[in-house]
Amino acid sequence: MASFSKMIPQQALVIRDGEKKELPADQLVVGDVVEIKGGDKIPADIRLIFAQGCKVDNSSLTGESEPQSRSCDFTHENPLETRNIAFYSTTCVEGTATGIVINTGDRTIIGRIASLTSGVGNEKTPIAIEIEHFVYLVAGVAVSIGVLFFIISVSMRYKILDSIIFLIGIIVANVPEGLLATVTVSLSLTAKRMAKKNCLVKNLEAVETLGSTSIICSDKTGTLTQNRMTVAHLWFDNQIYSADTSEDQTTQPFDQSSPSWTALSKIVTLCNRAEFRPGQENLPIMKRVVVGDASETALLKFAEVILGDVMNIRAQKKKVAEIPFNSTNKFQLSIHETDDPNDKRFLLVMKGAPERILERCSTIMINGKEEPLDSEKAEAFQTAYMELGGMGERVLGFCHLYLPENEFPDTYLFDTDSMNFPTSNLCFVGLLSMIDPPRSTVPDAVSKCRSAGIKVIMVTGDHPITAKAIAKSVGIISATSETVEDIAKRLNIPVEQVNRREATAAVVNGMELKDMSSQQLDEILCNHSEIVFARTSPQQKLIIVEGCQRQGAVVAVTGDGVNDSPALKKADIGIAMGIAGSDAAKNAADMVLLDDNFASIVTGVEEGRLIFDNLKKTIAYTLTKNIAELCPFLIYIITSIPLPIGTITILFIDLGTDIIPSVALAYEKAESDIMNRRPRNKRKDRLVNEQLAVYSYLQIGIMQSVGAFVTYFTVYAEQGFLPSTLLGVRVNWENNAINDFEDSYGQEWTKYQRTYLQWTGYTAFFVSITIQQVADLIIRKTRRNSIFQQGLFRNKVVWVGIFSQIGIALILTYGLGHVTALNFTPLRFQYWFVAVPFAILIWVYDEVRKLFIRRYPGSWWDKNMYY
Amino acid sequence: MSKETKKPFRQSMTEWRQFIYNPNSGEFLGRTAKSWGLILLFYLVFYGFLAALFTFTMWVMLQTLSNDIPKYRDRISSPGLMISPKPDTALEFYFNKSDAQSYAEYVATLRKFLESYDDSKQSQNINCTPGRIFDQNDVAVKKACRFNLSELGQCSGKEDKTFGYSKGTPCVLVKVNRIIGLKPEGEPRIHCTPKEAGMVEINYFPPEGLIDLMYFPYYGKSLHAHYLQPLVAVQLAINSNSTKEEIAIECKILGSPNLKNEDDRDKFLGRIAFKVQMIE
Repeated sequence: MASFSKMIPQQALVIRDGEKKELPADQLVVGDVVEIKGGDKIPADIRLIFAQGCKVDNSSLTGESEPQSRSCDFTHENPLETRNIAFYSTTCVEGTATGIVINTGDRTIIGRIASLTSGVGNEKTPIAIEIEHFVYLVAGVAVSIGVLFFIISVSMRYKILDSIIFLIGIIVANVPEGLLATVTVSLSLTAKRMAKKNCLVKNLEAVETLGSTSIICSDKTGTLTQNRMTVAHLWFDNQIYSADTSEDQTTQPFDQSSPSWTALSKIVTLCNRAEFRPGQENLPIMKRVVVGDASETALLKFAEVILGDVMNIRAQKKKVAEIPFNSTNKFQLSIHETDDPNDKRFLLVMKGAPERILERCSTIMINGKEEPLDSEKAEAFQTAYMELGGMGERVLGFCHLYLPENEFPDTYLFDTDSMNFPTSNLCFVGLLSMIDPPRSTVPDAVSKCRSAGIKVIMVTGDHPITAKAIAKSVGIISATSETVEDIAKRLNIPVEQVNRREATAAVVNGMELKDMSSQQLDEILCNHSEIVFARTSPQQKLIIVEGCQRQGAVVAVTGDGVNDSPALKKADIGIAMGIAGSDAAKNAADMVLLDDNFASIVTGVEEGRLIFDNLKKTIAYTLTKNIAELCPFLIYIITSIPLPIGTITILFIDLGTDIIPSVALAYEKAESDIMNRRPRNKRKDRLVNEQLAVYSYLQIGIMQSVGAFVTYFTVYAEQGFLPSTLLGVRVNWENNAINDFEDSYGQEWTKYQRTYLQWTGYTAFFVSITIQQVADLIIRKTRRNSIFQQGLFRNKVVWVGIFSQIGIALILTYGLGHVTALNFTPLRFQYWFVAVPFAILIWVYDEVRKLFIRRYPGSWWDKNMYY
Repeated sequence: MSKETKKPFRQSMTEWRQFIYNPNSGEFLGRTAKSWGLILLFYLVFYGFLAALFTFTMWVMLQTLSNDIPKYRDRISSPGLMISPKPDTALEFYFNKSDAQSYAEYVATLRKFLESYDDSKQSQNINCTPGRIFDQNDVAVKKACRFNLSELGQCSGKEDKTFGYSKGTPCVLVKVNRIIGLKPEGEPRIHCTPKEAGMVEINYFPPEGLIDLMYFPYYGKSLHAHYLQPLVAVQLAINSNSTKEEIAIECKILGSPNLKNEDDRDKFLGRIAFKVQMIE
């Protein structure tokens, strides 16, 4: 809320009791008459009763970038559109006005947005839900096994106290102690990785949310486009040429040999008031800062790229008169001397709205020759104009006239007020059209989203035609798909008769959206795969987001304005623009794109999916050894053998050897199919699903237990206790008073000697689990691909994990083997290798599993074995 | 974002019922009968394989072991001491010398313990040379040395059927744990000391509590079937003024440098402590 508070204007000029007073804005009441002038912030929502040349900058509220003029006239039903209301927190750019306060504080439009933003609750992220689900699952398994064995042990006549200790032991063995650390570490790692790619993640869990995103509602300006007008097409000599619109153009490839182009380039260069800021000669042209409006900047840079030093050319052809662009004339005109010393004629150049320019022309230049402008040529112009306009581009017409030397000698004084020079019967030269072109990375990013099953919806305040053109050029509307209107046009039937189901694409106007019920909106969102919302008021963004969420989608929203903040907050993941974004938007968002680049979102999606996958792998890894920790306990209770592994030892696995490897899985690279599968269905595709639990618990876990038990029995057998002797010995074994316990060979053991042997057993069991966890770690690197496809050594951290695992085990066994309290003993070296065949078996078995999954997709094996 | 709406109880019950048995799809616990059959078959094969593998590896491991001596004996390098009779409650003897019932269990235990030392059971045992280690490494059939019960003197149970319990001079047999291949050095003997002097007088059978070296080494249950470990009987003559008092006694193995009796952690390694309380 701090960013909202900062917007509060300090003072307001109020007329009360017939006197003008300066009051703090928060003391205004409804009905106060306030005066504002250029530069003031509007102190409340006011209705204007007097305005003189007043313009307000509503960009923070509505996203409209150009200042809006304000008058006392009621022009629209919608308060946001009518001219006679100025809004709290916007700025008066020029002029003066007087108005009556109609709303203050929270009741103002911006206040409502603010309270909407704070009102939209922070809901649980998908990953939080998944982890909660996982916790329930593990708790369920732990408690039910615990209770089951409590009942078994009670019925086997163990003491109640012992049974309770067993119960606690079983639950402890089941708790994945290291998981919390792993989740946090993987999230932070990814956040760090994303920060490198210019995505700032504010809310760690949001990273994963992005991965499960199924709909992206993207803003157009600045996110999909470069936010910079660029010349896209030219029309001269009856032909349309395309220009390069990429971010770093250095040349223009179209045919520049025609004399008409020479003429056109002169007009483009001369009839232009924009200038480069000085001192930028070393910068690439596209990066230079220009003083001037967007179109003129585009023309200036265009000319600079093709012709070189424009400022020099202008200096050579001295300007003698100029009429700047205004909205009544809709043209701009200037008169120049020529740089040819033999040619004393003046050159009049003009540019403006194409139809206005054409009206003033009587001839048209074709291949450098002036030809009369007959109806055929006028029609060619119309066709070209329509075509360029249809591509959503802003079109400008250019014409010129060499003033006859006899009428206009070089001493002639031009007067722009009386216009003592011809402004009609000019020679039409050509058209230039400009657009804010898409970023070059966007089409690729959009197609990546497509193949990843993510629907990209464009939501823009722009004109439908421009929006559609950009949507088509970036692939949001694919080349083959049609809207209802397109089909109607093609079949030449009224729009109403078109079967709406046939159209895959839809362009929805904000005005239509306003009259739609939520069912109608749902219908559009369901039936069309490619949707563009144009002319949307920012408030409608929220409606669209809610509509998408009603479909069960996980929605990502990009936005920059204050007005977007409710939608950003409402979205499952709000993404604010780092450069163009307002503070309020950044506050409401979960993620900030520092370079405003849509392609970063795709990276984010990939990272998010990767996190989910890697968490799955980590959990699978962690769960596996729980069985190897639990089984000894169960066997101990049932068959009364000496306890194979102690609680302290279990903790050393969970919090010692296993921590670094499970974190290492967070560094695992994505599997090849990560961006080719559909987003996960948050209701069905759980983090920990049945297959994962079953495969880890009942297959790999059991294999590990078998391997560890072989080691355990080997240790006891080689010390004199054959497996047959061990069964049922628990009570005597643990009896402190029995100090002549006989082994299979007739030797007698004291209690302490037995206990020490039992610790050796713990150590052996521990070492076996560790060795097999190495295999478990390796197999968990992939879920579908072979380890050899993934690269055994690509993830170096996994190897750090493996070495740390073995290192910690070595330290515990040999370094701390003499510390009685830890229950470790120095182990004979060969016992480290007893479980190795089982580790290899685990690896081979998992490779076979993955092979069948890849070979037979959709088969019984795939359904039951793929987690 | 999923709106967490609480499902009404009845609905969730229905869902559970659907999960347990879904009549429409014939699913029981989320799987059809065929699916259950397949999965059970899979696990049958899988666990069958694992069980076979386990059995096989265990068999291979057991093949590497000798029947006669364990592969490693490093965990029991030095023997522990144990007494007989061994009271159930933490090595504490309580009895009334005039009440036969109070020590009947001790007497019965001793009698049972000494059964295997009966002359009739020792017919195959040979008389060995006292004072020397009886090394039989080269002999295939290991002989056991005779241990004459008479060596236990008054504690042999021959003269006094109550092992002295009725006279206030109870006998406790101290034995050294069997350890394969153990060869004590020096002249090992058992020596017991009461915690407080003057309460009890201690007699040893054989005299001085000597353990004869001829009973070592032990060759293991299978090779050395008739082996009898040497015993030392400790007769406690409790002073008449010390009756009703608890007498703590510690017995140690002395005189042999390779038999430990001072281990910090193992209170039974070469020593044993017990308590005796007698009332009249």
